[in-house]
Amino acid sequence: MKTELQDYMERPKRYNNIDGTGEMSVGLLLLGFALLRFLRSVLPEDSMLRRDPGDFLLLFGGLGAVLALIYWSTRAIKKHITWPRTGYVAYRRSAKSRLTVMVAAAVFGFGFTCLMGFARRHDAMSLARMGYLAVMPAAYAIFLYRFDRECPWKWLVLLFTALGLLAIGLIVPGNIVELVRPVGLFLGLTYLASGAATLYLYIRHTHPPAPEIE
Amino acid sequence: MNEQLRAISELDRVIHEPGRLMIFALLGAVEECDFLFLLNQTEMNKGNLSSHLARLENAGYVEIEKTYRGKVPRTLLRLTRAGRKAFDRYRKRLKAAF
Repeated sequence: MKTELQDYMERPKRYNNIDGTGEMSVGLLLLGFALLRFLRSVLPEDSMLRRDPGDFLLLFGGLGAVLALIYWSTRAIKKHITWPRTGYVAYRRSAKSRLTVMVAAAVFGFGFTCLMGFARRHDAMSLARMGYLAVMPAAYAIFLYRFDRECPWKWLVLLFTALGLLAIGLIVPGNIVELVRPVGLFLGLTYLASGAATLYLYIRHTHPPAPEIE
Repeated sequence: MNEQLRAISELDRVIHEPGRLMIFALLGAVEECDFLFLLNQTEMNKGNLSSHLARLENAGYVEIEKTYRGKVPRTLLRLTRAGRKAFDRYRKRLKAAF
């Protein structure tokens, strides 16, 4: 009984990605970051956008635009597709959940900084690269286990992700910074495609109910 | 009466009905949702869900707000402060009983 009760309490969390918007958001963010780094690399050497504060403005301005795109596109999908078909949900934004997000971001930032510092030691480079490449599939596996267990085909996406990252790790030489662009591009496109497939399947299997008085 | 039986007998009868417990579990995890979401998640029929919600509203546990989205009627549902307290108390007692 307790397990069933907990299952019902966790359903709203799982419902958040029923239309694939969670994956598409992460995909867009990674893709945006990778494309901004590519843009920087193709700019002329003497470009203002390759030096501070231009570089900083390009990165954060670009990421701001990507975040705005994520916000509006997610809202549009929810408003015009998800809510009329399977219902509207507003999530609780408690102090505890905000604290959890902040702690997770701090731990991720600290871990990434430690990994970068660790990678500076030449002999530790391959280990640091492995750690960097393992983080994303691990995070995706946790996400699938907790929130997306109803879609077994997503475990194939996880396998594809892990194999793709392994290939990138073998093909792309250099330090972690050089891995950021191809990894971001690959993961961004993969998550975007997975999210889009989820949205397509959701639309195919659901229909808005006929309007009547409740 | 042993402790376990006492804990069970003290459970809130309004909440301790499978249909209403489902509604509580779903509403307890969100700020608010609409009737359609509960209908899909609980898989009850409209009449059943409406009668459970009416019972919960009468007990002061659920707030029901009738609105419109364009020309389509929408019923928003949320737990009241008393409803959240009652659900927390219920879960504590349930944990103590089992």
